[in-house]
Amino acid sequence: MTSLVLTVRETLRYRGAIGQWSWVLHRLTGVGVVLFLALHVIDTSWAVFYPDLYVKAIAAYQSPLFTIGEFGLVFAVVYHAFNGMRIVIFDYKPELWRHQGQAAAAVLVLTLLVLAPVFLGMLSHVVDFYMTEAAIASDKMLDVVVFSILEQLPFIAGFVGVLAAAIVLAALYSLIRGEAPARGKYPQASPIERFWWSFMRLSGILILPLVFGHLALMHVVQGVFDITAAQAVAGTMASNGTIGAVPSAVEFVYHRWSYAAGGLFVWRVYDLFLLVLVTIHGFNGLRYVLTDYTSGNDFARRTAVALCTVMAAVLLAVGGASLLVPLERDIVDEAMAATAEIYELRGEELPPELEAFLSNDE
Amino acid sequence: MDVTFKIRRRNPDLPDLAKPYWQEFLLKDVDPTDRVLEMLHRIKWEQDGSLSLRRSCAHGVCGSDAMRINGVNRLACKILIRDVGDKVQVEPILGLPVIKDLIVDMEPFFDHYKQVMPFFVNDDPLPADGRERLQTQADREQFDDTTKCILCACCTTSCPSFWANGHYVGPAAIVGAHRFIFDSRDQAGGERLDILSEPNGVWRCRTIFNCTPACPRDIEVTKAIGEVKLAIRKGTNVGIIETSAIH
Repeated sequence: MTSLVLTVRETLRYRGAIGQWSWVLHRLTGVGVVLFLALHVIDTSWAVFYPDLYVKAIAAYQSPLFTIGEFGLVFAVVYHAFNGMRIVIFDYKPELWRHQGQAAAAVLVLTLLVLAPVFLGMLSHVVDFYMTEAAIASDKMLDVVVFSILEQLPFIAGFVGVLAAAIVLAALYSLIRGEAPARGKYPQASPIERFWWSFMRLSGILILPLVFGHLALMHVVQGVFDITAAQAVAGTMASNGTIGAVPSAVEFVYHRWSYAAGGLFVWRVYDLFLLVLVTIHGFNGLRYVLTDYTSGNDFARRTAVALCTVMAAVLLAVGGASLLVPLERDIVDEAMAATAEIYELRGEELPPELEAFLSNDE
Repeated sequence: MDVTFKIRRRNPDLPDLAKPYWQEFLLKDVDPTDRVLEMLHRIKWEQDGSLSLRRSCAHGVCGSDAMRINGVNRLACKILIRDVGDKVQVEPILGLPVIKDLIVDMEPFFDHYKQVMPFFVNDDPLPADGRERLQTQADREQFDDTTKCILCACCTTSCPSFWANGHYVGPAAIVGAHRFIFDSRDQAGGERLDILSEPNGVWRCRTIFNCTPACPRDIEVTKAIGEVKLAIRKGTNVGIIETSAIH
């Protein structure tokens, strides 16, 4: 901790040039995105495994706190992507270093240029949501915010569990391996960090088009508000005629992941690539950040590495499973009761189709 | 002109002064072309003889008076008052233990330097004429820049990765390694690349670029580190650097 406090304080005090601030932003945006990623992958897998929980998670995403967070997230992804490209360029062409300051400024300008229309698009979804009948009754707003925070409690519990697992793993590892070799002796050359260095750059380049496509489709063309009110699912053939009468977030996922073009589940493959690349890139990045500030303490450093490894493994397993299991239409029906709960929470009337479904069910 | 110096001090021998603190000194009749080092001397000689700092040649060659001046790492002997204005803040470089006032313990820094084998390795017999091992001008140019290092530690102690992790080998040691890795006459390049491919070797560099402007010798430090990274990635020091080749 002292190492982190010292570095933060001295980075603020040292009059470094723009490159230093690019690095600060790159770290902050990276850590922000990876934390959201953990939430997002688990949430989305619920669409398959616990459809009722997924409906509630999406309702939480539609609450004001998450709406603000969504703008921050999109900024973080876009900045991190462009600055990552800057880093790649100067890593592979170090002789161009004189231009790195201009490049850092260009990254900021480019980020703002891209974000202007993107934020307008996202804002229009927010305005649409609050202007239409789907809007949350104003006296229910506090309930919705409290609900969206309480919905995150399982994640905090999950994180504590993963942290405990990481501490146990680090302790076991320390028992088996003993103390780390004497510091500053550089005893073993290891190709592993060279591999990770190359992987971060290559995966960054591959992720860029995938994640921009994902953001464009899921945050701009169809925002999180459209998921529960969609007349069509972008990127699939599902539209008015095929989508069920009761708008549900699970319905959206069902259509998206069931969509096959030429026998290929396009979005499942797309999401699988994105999941694998982003999870490994993200948690290796988190490992870089955490081990930078825990190098003075073997146990803390090993715990940090274990934490990143376990979190990445959990996300790959859960997210991968949700993308690979066969989908049944039952999941949409399973989520109806939860959908009704959200209507009540927001102080809205149940749509007649939903009421009919629920009374039939009984 | 009048110049106010604000200096970060500590004296471990006196319990009251063992914790770092700031002290201000006012200097009168300062010329804009006076050097910061001379002004520190004036403070020591005219106002407070206990002020401790390290300096040897005082002409930017020996590299012993690196300090953080107005927020950036500089050699006090190469910075003029007109470059820093009438309010000057001086503190020791960061990341090495402070011994007293502006003097830091350079041993950890030199230890890192020693680990990269900063010496010429060539076990072949001498050329027939018994004189020097020849090299083309283009080959010499590959490492020309990194021969300029004076080991002042300005670069290493400007690096946030080094502040966070004192085990990181640091920019200066990588520059020292670069000087031999890209020397066509040297035979231990592969060994040095192995040493620097350690987790606390070259990969802790996050291309923050603080080191390059901190260098009082204008060495292109981040570029040199980048070239070493590429050499490790490709497993060879050949074909990494393109020189303008004076033939």
